[in-house]
Amino acid sequence: MQGLIAFLERYFLPLAAKIGGQKHLVALRDAFIGTIPATMAGSVAVMLNALLRDLPPQFFDGYDGNSIPVIKQIIAINGYVWSGTLAVAGLIFVFSWGYNIAKAYGVDPLSGGIVSTAASLAGITFSFSGGISGLNLDAATVDAINAAGWSATSEGITAAGWGWLPLNNLDANLFFTGMIIGFVATMIFVKLMLRNITIKLPDSVPPAISKAFASIIPATAALYVVAIFYFVFSKIVPDMTFLQWLQKTVAQPLLGLSQGFGAVVLVALFVQLFWFFGIHGPNVLAPILEGVFGVAQLENVNLFQQGGADLVISKGYMWVRGSFDAYAWYGGSGGTIVLIVALLLFSKRKDYRTVANLSVGPGIFNINEPIMFGLPIVLNPMMFIPFLLAPVVSVSIGYWATMWGLVNPVSQQVTWVTPPFLLSFLATGADWRAPLVTLVAMLASFAIWIPFVMAANKMDPDLGHEDKIATDIGHDTKSI
Amino acid sequence: MIEISAAVHQDKIIELLNNCNEDGIQFSYKEKKGINLYFETNAEDLEKAAKLVKTAIKNQPWGSVLYFRSAPAK
Repeated sequence: MQGLIAFLERYFLPLAAKIGGQKHLVALRDAFIGTIPATMAGSVAVMLNALLRDLPPQFFDGYDGNSIPVIKQIIAINGYVWSGTLAVAGLIFVFSWGYNIAKAYGVDPLSGGIVSTAASLAGITFSFSGGISGLNLDAATVDAINAAGWSATSEGITAAGWGWLPLNNLDANLFFTGMIIGFVATMIFVKLMLRNITIKLPDSVPPAISKAFASIIPATAALYVVAIFYFVFSKIVPDMTFLQWLQKTVAQPLLGLSQGFGAVVLVALFVQLFWFFGIHGPNVLAPILEGVFGVAQLENVNLFQQGGADLVISKGYMWVRGSFDAYAWYGGSGGTIVLIVALLLFSKRKDYRTVANLSVGPGIFNINEPIMFGLPIVLNPMMFIPFLLAPVVSVSIGYWATMWGLVNPVSQQVTWVTPPFLLSFLATGADWRAPLVTLVAMLASFAIWIPFVMAANKMDPDLGHEDKIATDIGHDTKSI
Repeated sequence: MIEISAAVHQDKIIELLNNCNEDGIQFSYKEKKGINLYFETNAEDLEKAAKLVKTAIKNQPWGSVLYFRSAPAK
């Protein structure tokens, strides 16, 4: 163990620290975290509508929430909350992204957020067109429609308009474009600011005005660079906006890859490995967990709002960020609530039972530091195999249950401190089968943990805790 | 006394806290038991000191990815 720790500290941790501390990746992580107030509020609205509008018809024939007084109004209010949050989640993200990049470089973050937002919006189509054919219109109707600015014949209508921002360009679909365009624009802005290519005003000018003026040249340059790019792109690919092209060629294939069983298991395995060696797994893997699985989740939340679970099943993603929480990370990463139960039932070691008792409360809310460090699990060779294996098996159960249609995909954003069964129930848009899948995953984990808990009974408790670990990892307490 | 549970970079944590002087709060390394490090401190509010330690470690280039716990020792 000593050699392994030395190896990790010398070769792996510097790399993990570089990834975890990389300025732009930290900004990306913080950008996602920064959107949480909006995305969570939107998720609450969608979830309330799921409970009031979508769940009851499963149990009561003829139920229609939209026709019941008070319920109808609450559903409408929730719609407003959704419109301002998840419907434009991409827009909120691009601001947060620019803000955090600029902040990382010590440049006015507000201007960074504005530049990123403006640059991302600049490439979005402002027009729409659509048509209906197979009609039989009289001449007067055709004349009236044509006079209104649309195009009509006796057989059909073609409607086109300008001045509209399509929501499907502002929601989760904007994330990947925003990550690239927002980054480029904000970096140009940041670099010019740092080189002092700015308008300088006298000290007597109030700071807010001074900052805004200082940002004018860098922001204008950044936006013009991006605008020229959009222009050139439109000449090369005339039929698509950059966003549409990026969605088709990069985002969708990447999100598609994340849906493979191997990718899901690999992510689960690596998170466990990181935790075991005392490294914050989700922090290191944030670009994948949040940047890929998180984006897929937002897509699902929006689909649910538009068409309920059926639309998520037909058009959404089967495995998203919250799926890990729902089916594998109950009680915290590693599914440690199951270990706590196993310890309370089968452990004969007083030290283990004491830690388990202390860990029950936090564990219910998916906080597992007490057991991770108290038992400990971190760097405990005895716990290595079940700690890695149990979540992988749990993820597999959740994954295949979702793929086989035994449970709806996760389509709600639920805060991670929500107790396990409730979490999967809410996360799937109130699918009663989800807690059952969680239970099956828990039972499988339980079966994996039991032999190791019982084996630990045979270890001498006096040697099984701190002194033993000290020996294992080779730290000589007197040498420092 | 403050207890810090960290699996890796224990030497760096000890060096960091032995040289820490934030708001007059100082730490002195006392002993190590497995993954737990123990520090004496002059802080009266141990919860505040534990939070200070957490922030100090997180602010290090090597600390942002560490999974560790900092709490008043029981």
